[in-house]
Amino acid sequence: MKFYLSSFLFLFSIHSSAEYKFETVLDNLDDAWSFVFLSEDKILFTEMPGKLRIASLTNKSIINVTNIPEVAYSSQGGLSEVVLDPDFNTNNKIYISYSAKKDNKKITLYLASAELKDNKLVNRKIIFEANAYRRSPAHMGAKIAFLNDGTLLLTSGDGYDHREKAQSLDNHFGKIIRINRDGSIPQDNPFISYKNALSDIYSYGHRNMQGLVITSSGEIYEHEHGPKGGDELNIIKPSLNYGWPAITYGIDYSGAVISPFTEKEGMEQPLFTWIPSIAPSDMIFYEKDLYPELKNNFLITALVSKDVKQININDLTIQKSLFTDLNFRLRNIQDSPKGYIYLLTDGPNNKLIKILPK
Amino acid sequence: MKIAKYPFAVLSAALFTVMLITPISSISNLIWLNSVNMPIGIFKSLEVLLFDFQRLGILLYGVVIIGFAVAFSVTGLLTKYINFHAKYLYAFAGACAIGIAMYLMVVLLFESELLGGNRTIIGKILHWLAGFFGGYFYYFLISKNYDYTFIIRYLGVLYAYIILGFSLNWIFTPDTAAADFGFILKDLADNAQNALLKDFTSFFVATLIFALLGVVTLNPTWFFSAGIIYICAAIFNLTAVLIHGTEYNLIYVGEIFLGLWPIFLGITILIKR
Repeated sequence: MKFYLSSFLFLFSIHSSAEYKFETVLDNLDDAWSFVFLSEDKILFTEMPGKLRIASLTNKSIINVTNIPEVAYSSQGGLSEVVLDPDFNTNNKIYISYSAKKDNKKITLYLASAELKDNKLVNRKIIFEANAYRRSPAHMGAKIAFLNDGTLLLTSGDGYDHREKAQSLDNHFGKIIRINRDGSIPQDNPFISYKNALSDIYSYGHRNMQGLVITSSGEIYEHEHGPKGGDELNIIKPSLNYGWPAITYGIDYSGAVISPFTEKEGMEQPLFTWIPSIAPSDMIFYEKDLYPELKNNFLITALVSKDVKQININDLTIQKSLFTDLNFRLRNIQDSPKGYIYLLTDGPNNKLIKILPK
Repeated sequence: MKIAKYPFAVLSAALFTVMLITPISSISNLIWLNSVNMPIGIFKSLEVLLFDFQRLGILLYGVVIIGFAVAFSVTGLLTKYINFHAKYLYAFAGACAIGIAMYLMVVLLFESELLGGNRTIIGKILHWLAGFFGGYFYYFLISKNYDYTFIIRYLGVLYAYIILGFSLNWIFTPDTAAADFGFILKDLADNAQNALLKDFTSFFVATLIFALLGVVTLNPTWFFSAGIIYICAAIFNLTAVLIHGTEYNLIYVGEIFLGLWPIFLGITILIKR
């Protein structure tokens, strides 16, 4: 009886579309924001209120990881990204980004490392604290990725109220940060020898970057939320200025002009701009074989357009909307070790959906 | 008219205040852009100021109307019991209304400051001052008796305010403006681009000028001129669909609205005279 019931529920949770089938593997999550695969069956995921949890995708069991730092959960802040160390199999190390109050006053972005042992974080330490203090956790960024040289990139958003600071190098608003895995600063960072610049800055002039991908060839791609119009896909190179808010293709939510300029010498142009905004929330570069039609494509989840944008790396002007049948605001996308694509929907009571190939 | 002057005084004072408030954000933004060596000149400054007045202004107009309506109603009651110069009470009420409105916008919008010009202490003081002058202007409006021309002028200015948005788009961002009508500007030949830009820009700027001339002179001919152009646009929109087989669209609804509005003002002037 139990078998038939579970089979019935399983069938019920599979939706089909013209090209793909969708299977809901987890639901009723508490504002889950990011996830990473520990194995084909097991994921480690964050929930914005401050929970780090391990879920089995086959038996649906969920375990809480303990010894999590206190986070400032409101607006766009909370426990954000979780990633595994490139040497996780030998050192069990993970990294989490989160927003928290500094001395119970203003909020900023933190990056911590810890070892995951027996469902507990041990040797947890803060390896980066952004010099980007704000009264509310808006535009945090908080995405983490590893470069092929083993150093780590972290996106730090412009804080909305502090957008102009994205153009100065004495703070972490609107910056991509590059540090070593122990928090120290690589000596080949682009601004290391600049007197009035923070030496961990890698690139600047960004807004709210929520997609960060490093391809196997080592190229760094990033996307960021624009204001009303003007979401961008960029290729990131050290020391470059990406222009926000001095140049932009969008206007403010209030309708006000942010800048009448869309380009200027010394400021980078995006590879791709979305007008109107799609609100890009995460991105992978799919290099596996399970979905041949998606291989070597960027897959970008979107909150507003409620789909996944497929963009071919060889022709960035062509994009396709995928999984529109789901009709969910999509928060995060990952591919499993075997290559299956999983999508995390956005908001409270969100769910994890597996995409079954054609 | 005696009762009608109060709501129209609120609407007029709010519009006056919005004219004072929007440049605070625009100018603070322009100052910053200039500080990072962006080539800000007169043309770019004008673009920012006018677009902000039109787009940001509409949002602020709604907020200020609500704030002023509450503040001036309360102040109207208080003036019956407080023996103090009413003009200063209304001015103070205007400042309070703007201060509270700006505060609530932050609280209700995830603790984020939507108005760039309100992020500094100086900016906040300037916003309060704008509210102060708005309140003072309100008192000025209600302390006199008006005839129907007050309402005609208000509705004429509001009409011109709406047309201003279309005009600005065609003057400063023709690509976007053309796209709204289904044209990809850069795909057109040079002559076609030129024809499109000059015709559309003339269309909107001319009707804007007609409306403003109507407001200043109260000569109904100007309002009729603006109205006839939009009514013609609606008629020929529909004939293009019915006779020439172009795709049906709903733009004619807006055209009829923008045509009937000034015609109504013109007819009112004729009747009253």
